[in-house]
Amino acid sequence: MKSIIQTTNLHKTYDSGTHALKGINLTIHEGEFIILLGLSGSGKSTLLRCLNRLIEPSSGDVTILDQDVVNANPAQLRRIRRQIGMIFQQFNLIKNLSSLTNVLSGKLGYVSLWHALAFNHQKDDVAEAMANLNRVGLSEFARKKTKNLSGGQQQRVAIARALMQHPKMIFADEPVASLDPATADSVMKYLGVLNHEENMTVVCSLHFLSLARKYGTRVIALKGGKIVFDGSPQEIDEARFQSIYGEDAEEVEIR
Amino acid sequence: MNIEKVKKRVLSVILDLVISVYFIGCIAYLANEWAGLSVDLLYVVIVGVLVAVVQNITGYSIGCWGYGFSAEGKKPWMHTFWGWFLVVLIITTFVVGWIIVQVNPYKFFMKFQNAGTIVNGIFSPNLGILSECLAALAETIYLALLATVFAIPLAFVLSFFAARNLMPHTLLGNTVYLIIRTIATIFRSIEAVVWAIIFSVWVGIGPYAGMLALMVHSIAALTKLYSEQIENIDHGTVEAIQATGATTLQTWVYAVVPQIVSPFLAFTIYRWDINVRMATIVGFVGGGGIGLLLLQQQQMLRWHNVGIIIWLIAAVVWTMDIISAKVREKLQNS
Ligand SMILES: Nc1ncnc2c1ncn2[C@@H]1O[C@H](COP(=O)(O)OP(=O)(O)OP(=O)(O)O)[C@@H](O)[C@H]1O
Ligand SMILES: [Mg+2]
Repeated sequence: MKSIIQTTNLHKTYDSGTHALKGINLTIHEGEFIILLGLSGSGKSTLLRCLNRLIEPSSGDVTILDQDVVNANPAQLRRIRRQIGMIFQQFNLIKNLSSLTNVLSGKLGYVSLWHALAFNHQKDDVAEAMANLNRVGLSEFARKKTKNLSGGQQQRVAIARALMQHPKMIFADEPVASLDPATADSVMKYLGVLNHEENMTVVCSLHFLSLARKYGTRVIALKGGKIVFDGSPQEIDEARFQSIYGEDAEEVEIR
Repeated sequence: MNIEKVKKRVLSVILDLVISVYFIGCIAYLANEWAGLSVDLLYVVIVGVLVAVVQNITGYSIGCWGYGFSAEGKKPWMHTFWGWFLVVLIITTFVVGWIIVQVNPYKFFMKFQNAGTIVNGIFSPNLGILSECLAALAETIYLALLATVFAIPLAFVLSFFAARNLMPHTLLGNTVYLIIRTIATIFRSIEAVVWAIIFSVWVGIGPYAGMLALMVHSIAALTKLYSEQIENIDHGTVEAIQATGATTLQTWVYAVVPQIVSPFLAFTIYRWDINVRMATIVGFVGGGGIGLLLLQQQQMLRWHNVGIIIWLIAAVVWTMDIISAKVREKLQNS
């Protein structure tokens, strides 16, 4: 299997002094569905954002698709970023704009500045955006402002936005933490389909072991900014789970 | 730890110096008013500094209390020196203020007949000069409108560079942010009236000077309001758009602008409202329009003409008030 993401000795210390990542060494291969586990504050979001430099790493190296991310200039960085679809817990859509415009914003890494500024989208892009909305089952919501959609629908719009990028991989930061269990599973299903059918690499942080077992091919657990477990989802029994989440965790977070 | 303590001590000394020099100054002022004793400013400062130093060293001072060095511990204020000193300070300030402002309730209640001429003017306005007034009023309204319209694009662009969350934390980013914020703050703290005086000398008395004055002040004020609005946006959206590979400018247009349009419009309309009011005042000092006309008529003691002008200004301000409230309400609900 081809390696697609690599980090060496990755550190992040915030201005506040918090040492959030303490030397992460990681190799992720094409087609893997990685589940990031870890307590709140263990550094999952920081790690995901350091990979595409939404947060600047303090030291260490990141290589994505054979390109040096840390030393990329702004133009190179944008070309790396547009190959990575990103999905967030709070959906992070532009709430006052329609679903269609939101999905089209996924093309920003490809279009010229002036087309983007004028909100003047190419016919092909609009057709593609409609197709992607259709794919997540939301074609009749194209003209609706996203703030009027339910949480699950908003997350599906976010997935359609990511698909516009023709991404090689998807980073998802707790994509289902604000959703009810049934909706959560339906959103995860879309990620699962992309992983299976298009061989898209997925890195997804979660708190639910059941979802991890159902969709993940590999689990990486963080604790205090370090990797404390790296293996298959099936290897995580109760003892492992407690060592990741602490003695009191029981199975509260497991569904 | 230690640095913190030294800083507090220094601040307490500064506070005591200010209070003490001010207090001795008040005493000297009262001595002059009541007993005809004129005291040199130099002595006021010397005595004030001495008193402050003694107070601060012994710990019996307001500064020591404020920064936690008081020699009197946590006693209730009635049993402390600083408490009574504060009371005396407040009373002294009130007495001195009363004298300086020449407060005189007798005049207020007993000299009402002096206002008769102007009240009479207001209630029998001279409709004969209506057309002249309307022309001046048009000047005022248009100058307020242009000042607002010209200010919007400049303030809009500047506000992005004056928003902490959009400027990178690099030397260049910080410098740009600081320079724009500082200039905006300085320009805003200079009143529109002062700008009008400057521009009436620069381009001559008239509505153009008034327009420039309001424009400069509006740019500064709107830049601050706009940029604070930008600092309140949801950062998640910005992250999401950046993650698609968008450029900085694209990110601003897609993630920032849609979040700020409606508050921006609300602020802008509010600003126009303020500018219409200010346009009258600015007219007094050379900014043209209805304010200038009012000043001229007042100086000629033509109270019936003043009357019609006052009615017209009230009508415009009142109308603007209603329109701007309505529009802002609409924006909030949309
Ligand atoms: N912008 C920031 N500034 C300073 N410290 C931060 C910042 N963001 C995160 N941290 C700190 O870094 C550590 C790791 O945070 P991070 O958000 O990566 O954790 P997480 O695993 O994603 O947690 P959660 O499950 O709550 O999302 C925490 O201690 C957090 O307080
Ligand atoms: Mg997180």
